Amino acid sequence: MKAWLRFLPSIIGKAIISEAIKRYDIEFNILRAHITPRGGKMLVEISGPEEKESIKFIEEQGIEVNPIIRVVKKDKDKCIDCGACISLCPVKAIKVEEDWTVEIDDQICIGCGFCAKSCPTKSIILFE
Amino acid sequence: MKTIDEINQKIKNGDAVVVTASEMTEIVAENGPEEAAREVDVVTTGTFGAMCSSGAFLNFGHSDPPIKMARTYINGVELYSGLAAVDAYIGAAQPNKDPEIGLDYGGAHVIEDLIKGEEVELVAEAYGTDCYPLKHVETLITLDKLNQAIMVNPRNCYQNYAVAVNSTDETLYTYMGTLLPNYGNVTYSSAGELSPLINDPHFQTIGFGTRVFLCGTEGYIVGEGTQHSTEVERKHGVPTTSAGTLMLKGDMKKMNPEFLRAATMPNYGPTLYVGVGIPIPILDEDIAASTGISDEEITCKIVDYGVPRRERPVVKETNYKELKSGKIEIEGVEVPTSPLSSLKKARIIAEELKKLIEKSEFLLTSPIYRLPSRGYTLRPLEIRKPSILVRELESKPVIVTRPDENIKDVARKLVENNINHIPVVDEKGVLQGIVTSWDIADAVAKGKTSLRDVMTRRVIIAREDEPVEVVARRIDKYDISGLPIVDSNNKVKGIITAEDISRLVGKKMGRGGESI
Ligand code: SF4
Ligand code: SF4
Repeated sequence: MKAWLRFLPSIIGKAIISEAIKRYDIEFNILRAHITPRGGKMLVEISGPEEKESIKFIEEQGIEVNPIIRVVKKDKDKCIDCGACISLCPVKAIKVEEDWTVEIDDQICIGCGFCAKSCPTKSIILFE
Repeated sequence: MKTIDEINQKIKNGDAVVVTASEMTEIVAENGPEEAAREVDVVTTGTFGAMCSSGAFLNFGHSDPPIKMARTYINGVELYSGLAAVDAYIGAAQPNKDPEIGLDYGGAHVIEDLIKGEEVELVAEAYGTDCYPLKHVETLITLDKLNQAIMVNPRNCYQNYAVAVNSTDETLYTYMGTLLPNYGNVTYSSAGELSPLINDPHFQTIGFGTRVFLCGTEGYIVGEGTQHSTEVERKHGVPTTSAGTLMLKGDMKKMNPEFLRAATMPNYGPTLYVGVGIPIPILDEDIAASTGISDEEITCKIVDYGVPRRERPVVKETNYKELKSGKIEIEGVEVPTSPLSSLKKARIIAEELKKLIEKSEFLLTSPIYRLPSRGYTLRPLEIRKPSILVRELESKPVIVTRPDENIKDVARKLVENNINHIPVVDEKGVLQGIVTSWDIADAVAKGKTSLRDVMTRRVIIAREDEPVEVVARRIDKYDISGLPIVDSNNKVKGIITAEDISRLVGKKMGRGGESI
C-alpha cells in the first residue's frame, strides 16, 4: 500500500524504518520525502506478507501513517490527450491507449509531480 | 480523371466514398494508387495542435457616448487596437498584463472562454476625440453580444515540423514543451500521416478558398500562411522540415469548444490548440498516391533545442512510425517520446469531417488559386547592428585564484580589486569553480579555511563565441550576478557581470511575451 508517513522532529534521528525492515518481511520504497527541522513527511510504498504488522510497529513508534488511495488524478474533461506528459514520467506510469487516449496508472505513479507541472492544460492534480 | 463538381454531385446524392487519411494509407498499400483513385472520392485529414499564430478580430459595437478604443483588455489580456474605433485583434499567445497571472491566462484563454459562452470583462481606454468623447469603458461581454468575432489565424497547420530534444544538462521549457536534460525525452508536434498539408505536399488541391473544418465549424483557407516555404528538402515528395503553412478564417460564433483549447506551455507562454480538418478530393492517381503516404514514409529531423540559435544542430533523422511507437534510440539509449498535438483529436476530426461529407452537409470547393508550391524560401531577420560576441567584450584582466589558496588571501584579492567574483583555476588556467564575496564571508563566519570547501564547482559560464544576448538570458534565468568567460578548452579568459550586460543590452530581458 501507499501511505504518507508523518513524524515529529524528535523522531528524525531514530532508525525506525530500518528497524521495521529488519523485523518484518516487507518491501519498503520511499517515493517522496519532505523533511524540515519541524518534522517531515514521506510518501512510501509498503508491501509484503507482514505489511500489516510492520505498519502497526511504525505507528507504535510514533509515526503517523495515512494510507492513500490515489496519488494523482487526471481531469478527463480538461485533458486534451496531447501526450506532453508521457515522456516526462520517470516511472512510465503514463500510457496511451489504442485510440491515443492518455491514461495515468495510479498504481505505478510515485507522485513526483513532473507531469502536473508540465501539462499545458493543467489537467493533472497531485494529492498531498 | 474526376472533377470537384463530379465529386460534389456524388456527395449531394449521398454516394461519395469518403475515407480518412489513415484508412487511405491502407487502401493505397493494398490496391495501389490507380485502383484507390477509382474507388475513393475524398480523403479527410485532421490535426489538433498548439498553434501560437492564431487569433480573432472582434467588433464590440458602439457605446453611448461613443469611444475610440486605443487600448483594449479582455480579462486582463491586451488586444491589438490600432484599428477603427471598436475593432480589435486578440492574439492567442498574448500573456496576461497582470504579472501574477502572466502566462497562465492569455489570449488563447480569452478565445476559449468566449467560445464556451462565458462572460468576460472588457476594459477600454481612449484619448477622446470630438466624435468619440468617451475615454474609458468597463463592461461585461459575451460572444453573442459581439457584432463579429472572426478567427483569422496567420499561420496554422505547419507541413511537418522539427522534433525536439535537449542535449544540455538543464531542463528546458520551450514551445515544444518541457525538454528533459541529456536527451531525456523527445517531443514532436505533427500528426504525421493524418496531417493536412502532408497529404497534399505540392498543393495540387489546396488553395485560397478551400473550405475546411475549423474548430467545429466550416472555415476557409485565405491563402498561404506566414513563413510559408516550399524550397526545402523532401523525401517521398514530403518536406522533411517545416515548410508550407495556411492562413485560416472562421466564424467564432459557430465554433465548438470541443475542437479548440487554450493551453500554456510551461515557462513559455499561452497558445491555442486549434482543430483543423481538410478534405482532399481524389482527382487522379497522383493525388491518391500522395494521400496514401504512411507514417513510416514521412521523414523528420530531431533537432537540439539546447542550442538557442536560429540554426539548431540536427541530432538525427527519424519518421512518425518510430516517433508514435513511444520510444526512439538516440546515441544507443532508448528515449521516450511525446506527441504535443493530440493524435486522438486529430483522428476524431478526420472522422467528423468524413461523417459531415457522407451526410451531404459539407461540400468541397475549388480553390481560386492553389497555394504556391514553388519559389518560397524563408528569409532570416538580419540584425543590422550585429550581435556582439562575448569575445569582443572589453573585459578587465581577470583575477583568478587556485583551489589551495588561503581564504584570507582570497578575501584580500576581492577587496583590493573591488570585485565580487573570483574564478578558481588549476595550474593550466582551466576553470575549476567560482567563489563570491558572499561565499568568503560565509566561510569566515563558519571558520572554514580551505577554498575547496567553499567554492561552487558547477559554474555557469559564458563561452567566447556566444552572442551577449544569450548570456544575458542565462544571467537572468539563474539570477546570478556574473559569470566567467571561457575558451574552447575551458580556460578562463575573463569575467562578465550583470552590470556589463545591462549596459550593453540596454534593459534586463524579461520572460514571456516572446513567440516563435
Ligand atoms: S499533458 Fe495534460 S493535457 Fe496533455 S495528455 Fe497529459 S494530462 Fe492530458
Ligand atoms: S506524478 Fe510523476 S510518477 Fe506520477 S504520473 Fe506524473 S510524472 Fe509519473
